[in-house]
Amino acid sequence: MEETTQKQTNPYLIPAAILIAGAFVAVALYFGGSTPTPVAVGTGNNQPAVAGQPEPTGSTDAVRTVTSEDHIKGNPDAPIKIVEYSDFECPFCKRFHDTMNEVMDKYGDSGEVAWVFRQFPLEQLHPVKAQAVAVASECAAEQGGNDAFWKFTDGYFDVTLTNNRTDIETVIPQLAKEAGLDQTAFQTCVESGKYDDHIAADIANAVETGGRGTPWSVMIGPDGKTYPINGAQPLAAIEQLISIAKNEQ
Amino acid sequence: MYVKTLRVVFAKPLYATLFLVISFFVLSVAIMLPHVGLIRTLWQYESVSVVEILLLTANLYGSLGTNFTILSASYTVVIALLFGMQVTLLVYYLKSIRNKATNLTSVGASGVGGLISGFFGIGCAACGTFLLSSILVLFGAGGLLAWLPFGGEEFGLIGIGLLVYANYLIIKKIDAPKVCTS
Repeated sequence: MEETTQKQTNPYLIPAAILIAGAFVAVALYFGGSTPTPVAVGTGNNQPAVAGQPEPTGSTDAVRTVTSEDHIKGNPDAPIKIVEYSDFECPFCKRFHDTMNEVMDKYGDSGEVAWVFRQFPLEQLHPVKAQAVAVASECAAEQGGNDAFWKFTDGYFDVTLTNNRTDIETVIPQLAKEAGLDQTAFQTCVESGKYDDHIAADIANAVETGGRGTPWSVMIGPDGKTYPINGAQPLAAIEQLISIAKNEQ
Repeated sequence: MYVKTLRVVFAKPLYATLFLVISFFVLSVAIMLPHVGLIRTLWQYESVSVVEILLLTANLYGSLGTNFTILSASYTVVIALLFGMQVTLLVYYLKSIRNKATNLTSVGASGVGGLISGFFGIGCAACGTFLLSSILVLFGAGGLLAWLPFGGEEFGLIGIGLLVYANYLIIKKIDAPKVCTS
């Protein structure tokens, strides 16, 4: 007589396991999309990034209007603006910074695209240093204007080791010097804490627009339509998105 | 013995195709997760054509090289291949035993565990852009990522381990005699 020696168990186990896996993917999609999340990433000087701010809506339409107060590379009146929320110590921001410079090399001179840089230091991932460099970049802008800001920013992303490994005590003064800034006035600005609120506001806006990691960007098209750019997307994808935005006008 | 089993299964065009399709699907999910918001936005804009969306989606596959570290890109591809292999072996095994109920508890549990762990690891890839950081932040534990020695990429490696084990279990099941006589 033949008999099976293996245990008789629920025959639906495997389909159930696959369903569970599918459910997990669905959860991943939920969190990976632009669903509102009570994010607390990126705090500056121990201030909660979203304290006193409206609950994040996760809508790119909440992107703060670009003004002359922003750090802009390219034509400020460009029909397409890419607003990037960046962390100076994030390795993917370093990578995306290069990509954006390539974008500007191609679309900047014709005035088609403008690059707007906003602060999104992730205190939980890169404690102290990301915030300190963000403050320093704001002080560079204060002391030397838009050109000094971009000289400092490009210079920092060129040399940063990322992930909090950069010797900021050496690098920041060196970059300030290269940007032709008054060292004493620059140091006074850095230590004043005067840009903490400004940076907190940038972080809050990043969160409002749906950002929960860096780099996070919002492309604003000629007709005001907005497009989320999550992470360090390749140049080809950014170019394709620019093409789509241009066709929208 | 196990290699021979793999050869038997994957030499059949149907199973080789299933393996490739499932692996590509898992890899696509991993790469496209951060871009779901963008693709959804484009679908909402009626003036954006399907061709434009498809072209952009194709270009977004390049983010495997820009949005991942070398380590995370490597284990993402390996996880996709292992998961494709797992599903293929499962289908082969289930077809071979037909309707005979058997004990697949360990196979199913470790397989799902491998997939879950793998996806957690993928989520750590881009400065905590999605899954793991989102979930940890929900519980106020986002700082844990910075505390982990590999910034959370440990989960991807654990995922590979679990998937390898799950595949090993299935191959063993395929090799084992299904019916004993007395």
